[in-house]
Amino acid sequence: MQPKPVLLVYLDGFTTVLFVLAVGMVFFYAPTEAVMGNVQRVFYFHVASGWVGMLSFMAAAISGIIYLRSGKRGWDLAGLSAVEIGIVFIFINIATGAIWARPIWNTWWTWDPRLTTATIMELIYAAYLMLRQGIEDPDRRARFGAVYAILGFVSVPLTFFSARLFRTIHPIVIGTNQPGAAGDFDMTPRMAQTFMFSLLAFTFIFIDLLWHRIRLGRLEEKVEQLKLKMMV
Amino acid sequence: MNPMFFQQAPAETTSYMIFGYALIFGVMFIYLFSLAVRRRNLLATLAMLQELEKQA
Repeated sequence: MQPKPVLLVYLDGFTTVLFVLAVGMVFFYAPTEAVMGNVQRVFYFHVASGWVGMLSFMAAAISGIIYLRSGKRGWDLAGLSAVEIGIVFIFINIATGAIWARPIWNTWWTWDPRLTTATIMELIYAAYLMLRQGIEDPDRRARFGAVYAILGFVSVPLTFFSARLFRTIHPIVIGTNQPGAAGDFDMTPRMAQTFMFSLLAFTFIFIDLLWHRIRLGRLEEKVEQLKLKMMV
Repeated sequence: MNPMFFQQAPAETTSYMIFGYALIFGVMFIYLFSLAVRRRNLLATLAMLQELEKQA
């Protein structure tokens, strides 16, 4: 097995430092929001998780396109890895949203357009993993996975723009809130800095996790190849 | 109208913040742990297969 690349070692360290700093900023640098209180601090990692999820699904769609053009299996692995990470972070995004909503909207859940589209997006990519499980032939699995990841990506802009296009109570960070938005707030400079830094930290978390997941996938392939070789 | 409109001080929502961050850290830890376990298991399988290949 290849040793861990030096760049990945540095990336692990750098990402850990960024994450710890982001946590520090959320709890000790950003001020307490005047109306919502401390639960508003969930917002920083809630949005950052959503960002990582959408970035992952975009990476999966791009990997799918490149795989279909080149036929290189490495891109299939990159797509699978990105989807797995995306599912984890969109789950965090949805669950933290529900926790925030309980004291602010007085309910854990409502079938608001943003919440509904985010849930559909999560389910679409969960189905991607199930689809792959059901196909034995690796080439066919990779081809189907690539096409599915490209088509499934339609759910990402739909989720992003749902709070801007439809009547919703979900507040938005960039742009003008809908008249019925509940729980919106004006960011102070410290809040904005914490928010941007959280986005940066989570972007590095995504890159770092993707690299690790791809390495794990390569190891899986190596084990499978060795098993096949021994069966022959 | 938002019921928090007339309040004088921020709402006491610390328990929800703790719940939220416990979930964030918990899920991230579980995912990292799953990556580590899968890797460890694969390395063990690989070592076993390589040993069998040598013997064959």
